[in-house]
Amino acid sequence: METDGQATAPGSALALILVREIGQALAAFAESGEPAAIDLRGLPMSDADREELLAWLGDGEIAATLAVAGRSEIRETRFTGVWWVRHFGTDDRIAAERIEIASVPDILIADMADVTAAAARFDDELAELSIPPSMEEAEHV
Amino acid sequence: MSDRQTVGDILAQRGVSRRAILKYAAWLASAMALPPSASKAIAQSLAAARRQSVVWLSFQECTGCTESLTRSFSPSLEEMIFNLISLDYHETLMAVSGHAAEEARLKAMEENKGKYVVVVDGSVPLKDDGVYSANAGKTNLQTLQETAKDALAIISVGTCAAYGGIPGARPNPTGAVSVGEIIKDKPVINIPGCPPIAEAIAGTVAYLVTFGKVPDLDHLGRPKAFFGDTIHDRCYRRPFYDKGLFAKSFDDEGARNGWCLYEVGCKGPVTYNACATLKWNGGVSFPIQSGHGCIGCSEPHFWDKGSFYQPLSTAMPGMGAGIAAGAAAGVALGAGAAWLARRRQVAYSQQTSKKEGA
Ligand code: SF4
Repeated sequence: METDGQATAPGSALALILVREIGQALAAFAESGEPAAIDLRGLPMSDADREELLAWLGDGEIAATLAVAGRSEIRETRFTGVWWVRHFGTDDRIAAERIEIASVPDILIADMADVTAAAARFDDELAELSIPPSMEEAEHV
Repeated sequence: MSDRQTVGDILAQRGVSRRAILKYAAWLASAMALPPSASKAIAQSLAAARRQSVVWLSFQECTGCTESLTRSFSPSLEEMIFNLISLDYHETLMAVSGHAAEEARLKAMEENKGKYVVVVDGSVPLKDDGVYSANAGKTNLQTLQETAKDALAIISVGTCAAYGGIPGARPNPTGAVSVGEIIKDKPVINIPGCPPIAEAIAGTVAYLVTFGKVPDLDHLGRPKAFFGDTIHDRCYRRPFYDKGLFAKSFDDEGARNGWCLYEVGCKGPVTYNACATLKWNGGVSFPIQSGHGCIGCSEPHFWDKGSFYQPLSTAMPGMGAGIAAGAAAGVALGAGAAWLARRRQVAYSQQTSKKEGA
């Protein structure tokens, strides 16, 4: 859901170029369902450029923190389907930062290989559960 | 030891999810300047890949390159590289020694014929039949030739392996040469630096595992993703250079104001490396940010190019005094500065190739 946007364009040239690029990718996604991603780390972005872009894209409905090989932060912007994804490495420095245009960033989706492994682990742990005698009796009633 | 399991299988056993592979793929795509949309495909191919057998040979070196790789990793994203490779031989890190160690090397070579990667740190002495550095009864030259024979590719880590480095500096008493001067029939990837940046080592290995091929290299065999720009191209002090504001000594007002270090010897304009963007010590800083000029440690023969503390134009033979004068007088503005820097780079490469061809 889109909330009220800001009328003024970002002041930094780089942020403005990125806003345009994101807009084109979002329109293409809406049209064809083709997701896209823009790598921010490869760009000569200053903190000011980043702040301007962040402020203009605003906050959406979802924010998630991941504990996957260090921390990651994902949040939807005020434009549905536009996500700001930050992966942190050692000492909490940004290892990868990108804008994803997708229904949901892939990293949030549970991979079926992990689901299969989780099901097997669940089974093993269930088999090893020591059930108190009173509950075992209750099971036979 | 190498095994037939995929990276995905191994990570699952260690309780690491596919999400971690996806995150690593996002980092790799960004670090290697690959399209960001490729990260899903990279993750899938990484998960399905066999762990890359790596044989690490240390010759005339100081172990700084191994320190760079191992010390910079804490249990997080960057540690992932150790899940992608099977480090089958590394004299400093392996637990076994003597015959058992040599057997491990030979076994890895036999089991992964044509597929293993050889990482070399250190130069190879050729003088007096290479007697100056030997191991397990073999000279470095013999070990390199024997190990490289059935390798997929060789990665020369550090300036010593890439260009001869400190052992090869004048008067080069051991006749030290680079790996690339010996191995001519295999791809040799150079990751120079004294030491090299850990991400450049890890990123290059991860690229090899993912794509099974050598990344794009420049004319000196360096991956363009990490060595495509000079330090000067990405230096945060560049606006001061462009305005002609230079520190004249390490404790003057200019130095305190963070001005350009060109006049106190910075070799950033002719040095291709990623220190200005990836930085060191977990991204904390890099030499220029800490107040010292770049010494050009990832360029060939950096030790023999005059003082680290003289401006490039006077330190490098053959450079016109006009270039230094122009920069010092502050006339090198905007596009002019870029042109001057590019001219220095061209002059430097010509000088390097002349020297190498000599
Ligand atoms: S000369 Fe050195 S300190 Fe000055 S801008 Fe270039 S790289 Fe930075």
